[in-house]
Amino acid sequence: MKKYILSHFSLILALFLLSSCLEETPSFLEFEDYNFENIDEEGGTWQTILISNPAQVGIPQPEPVNSTSYQAELDEIKLIMADISPSEKQAIAYWGNNPVIRWNEIALEMAAKYNLIPGPNPDGTYTLPNPGNPVGPPAFPFAHPPYTSRMLAYLSVAQFDALVVAWHYKFQYRRDAPYQNDPSIVSAYASSNLPAFPSHGATVAKVSKDILTMMFPLEAGFLEEKYQEHIKSIKQAGINVSSDIDAGILIAEEVVKLAKSRASTDGMAKAQAPKPVSDSLANAAFERFGWMWQNTEVPKRPVGLTPLFGQVKMWHVPSVEEVRSPPPPAIGSPQFEEDVKELKKYAAHMTIAQRRIANWWEDGIGSYTPPGHWNKFAKISIVKNKLNPLRAARVFAYMNTAIMDAGVACWDTKYYYHYPRPVESISGFKTILGTPNFPAYTSGHSTFSAAGAEVLSYIFPEEASQFSAWAEEAAVSRIYGGIHYRFDAEEGVTQGKKVGTYAVKKAKEDGAR
Amino acid sequence: MKNLIRSAVALTLCYILPNVPTYAQLPFDEILMPKGEICAAVIYENSKWDQYWEGDYLRENANIGTFTRQMLMPMVAVGITNKINIIAFLPYVSTAASAGTQVGQSGVQDLNISLKAEWLNQQVGKGNLMFLTNTHFSTPVGNYLSDYMPFSIGAGAPELGLRGIGAYRMDNGLVFRATMAYLWRGQTEIERDYYYQDGSVYSPFMNVPNALNIHGAIGYWTLENRLRLEATYMSLNCLSGDDIRSYNRPQPTNKMEVSQIGVWTQYYINADKGLGAIAYFNHTLSGRNSGKANTIGLGLTYQFKVY
Repeated sequence: MKKYILSHFSLILALFLLSSCLEETPSFLEFEDYNFENIDEEGGTWQTILISNPAQVGIPQPEPVNSTSYQAELDEIKLIMADISPSEKQAIAYWGNNPVIRWNEIALEMAAKYNLIPGPNPDGTYTLPNPGNPVGPPAFPFAHPPYTSRMLAYLSVAQFDALVVAWHYKFQYRRDAPYQNDPSIVSAYASSNLPAFPSHGATVAKVSKDILTMMFPLEAGFLEEKYQEHIKSIKQAGINVSSDIDAGILIAEEVVKLAKSRASTDGMAKAQAPKPVSDSLANAAFERFGWMWQNTEVPKRPVGLTPLFGQVKMWHVPSVEEVRSPPPPAIGSPQFEEDVKELKKYAAHMTIAQRRIANWWEDGIGSYTPPGHWNKFAKISIVKNKLNPLRAARVFAYMNTAIMDAGVACWDTKYYYHYPRPVESISGFKTILGTPNFPAYTSGHSTFSAAGAEVLSYIFPEEASQFSAWAEEAAVSRIYGGIHYRFDAEEGVTQGKKVGTYAVKKAKEDGAR
Repeated sequence: MKNLIRSAVALTLCYILPNVPTYAQLPFDEILMPKGEICAAVIYENSKWDQYWEGDYLRENANIGTFTRQMLMPMVAVGITNKINIIAFLPYVSTAASAGTQVGQSGVQDLNISLKAEWLNQQVGKGNLMFLTNTHFSTPVGNYLSDYMPFSIGAGAPELGLRGIGAYRMDNGLVFRATMAYLWRGQTEIERDYYYQDGSVYSPFMNVPNALNIHGAIGYWTLENRLRLEATYMSLNCLSGDDIRSYNRPQPTNKMEVSQIGVWTQYYINADKGLGAIAYFNHTLSGRNSGKANTIGLGLTYQFKVY
């Protein structure tokens, strides 16, 4: 019996040891606060995307630092800073001095939360998410890859434009941060010579809250909480006084108006076409090419995912036909047969390395989608290169507009050629990934990824080979997953790269070196 | 021995297969194999469901149709002393759906080793009152992917469990038994580094929730102790975890719950040596984030004395 007690003791010890070696499961990217590598004094002159000229957004002139009103504002934040609770301290550390990162993460979390495909009703019909009744069921939105690409594009463009305006006024007025005007105030973050008026943090907070609330109306309450927490942390960190924050919010409001106005007329509202329109696309392809994609779920979905996303207004490409892919190999052609043979080979035998690639890039239902995956890469490079919030917003703006443009181009090609998926063209074929509800050619993962890689490679040239390797891997992952032919993936990469060059060309000319 | 087999089958209870409750049957029972005896066994189990609980909503999915899980489990049990037994088993599991376009998974699942000990065995009234414990450890063998539910063959995480077994065996052959186990689960390594669990998680590891596992049985020994019949109850409740989201697939972090009733029979051809047979059936009554499965199991056992 002694032996038994001993063995139980050793089990408890083992349990303790196992507990201590559990891996962390963080809910956000953990990074240390950093000194900006550059504060981009000329940032206010950079070319914006939505607004024509920063001076178009007017803000009141700030009071001088020796004014009674500014001194009163300093007293206010000193009072606030004297009484910080542990949870507020945590919030200050969380938001950091580059809150563009955090709002991007919040956007990705929303995408993953809402990336749920509506299931069938008991009578076999499907109900579409409806912005007029966001509660549903099903809840609005279904944050699928096109939706998410567009959400991230608007978020990033609005953040970028608003920050260019903020920079314009920062260096026009050059009013320093509270901790530089009053030595008794100690900033929670690394100090910098970036003028504090208007508050870029407040600009980012307000833009992000408003754009995300437009995209995810059911999250209004959650986003308001995040916003309030962020604004409070700005004061508690000692980096802005109330008038800095108010001016930042004013800029955000003006830019959000422009973003909302573009979003309301960009064609997204019509992207989920009704059945007659969807059928006419399928029939047109059948007449032209002799094939058409069909949904293979039970019950069958009457319309594929956003058949008219290919008609949504692009950011950098003048017309989608310019970037439409050439026709895919005909079904039954030697090229087709060769790629089918490859798919059958992987289905019969897949290496662990191939399976890992398929799953690492799946970014399917319930995830932040491939655009989200590339936003994560961008964040890591932004932190590594210690970019300031304006530079960070520029990375996201060009990358996410390129990614959305790639999605538009890809969707145009998808519904123009209406090419069947491997599970339709190969009898009895089974896959390790779920087959999406839209035509095969070209691969969305491939176009999104190649466009993202193109922009990131321009901005972070020393990492270009990694980005391009990732884009290639994302493309091939769909072949391993059994849901794309090689020609879908390869042409997708070509198409995505091509779309990406339009964004890079704009970025090269925007005034940022 | 008989009990050992059942114990072993019960051990499979420890496996979490959130939407495929594989719970064979019967908890560990109150009997120990004598010193120096070994029992080798093979059990085949077939479990099917065509409805599953998404959170607490019972639904069908025409893209799964009927889900089938088969298991072949070799097992060995050794009587170290009259009061201490060791049991080990290693199941091979295979899954498939009758509809949809996704392929099933098959492979060797988790190696499970447990130590069972008797602490009390005393005549009380017209029977014996017993208390035993069973401590087990299991760990995945091979490289099956846990994050491929409902097809994954296991939770892909190590597990430590401590079970208390109380029983009263009457002289007339009736047995009343209740057991409770705490199952501590570790993490499973998955093949993506971002997933959603009530919010973003930036990690290639998922925390598999700890669970409580309860069994109850009323049994009856007859035909000179060669036939055992039992009516059984089993429940497994994860103590944390998230629900399967609307029309989404399950994942190893889910709060899985299940309760089942069943019957168990065991027959020894020659008293307690040599060849024996097992058959059992389980029916799922209620659940959460799991399949509403019916399970049948068949097994052969062979017991012999080595020292």
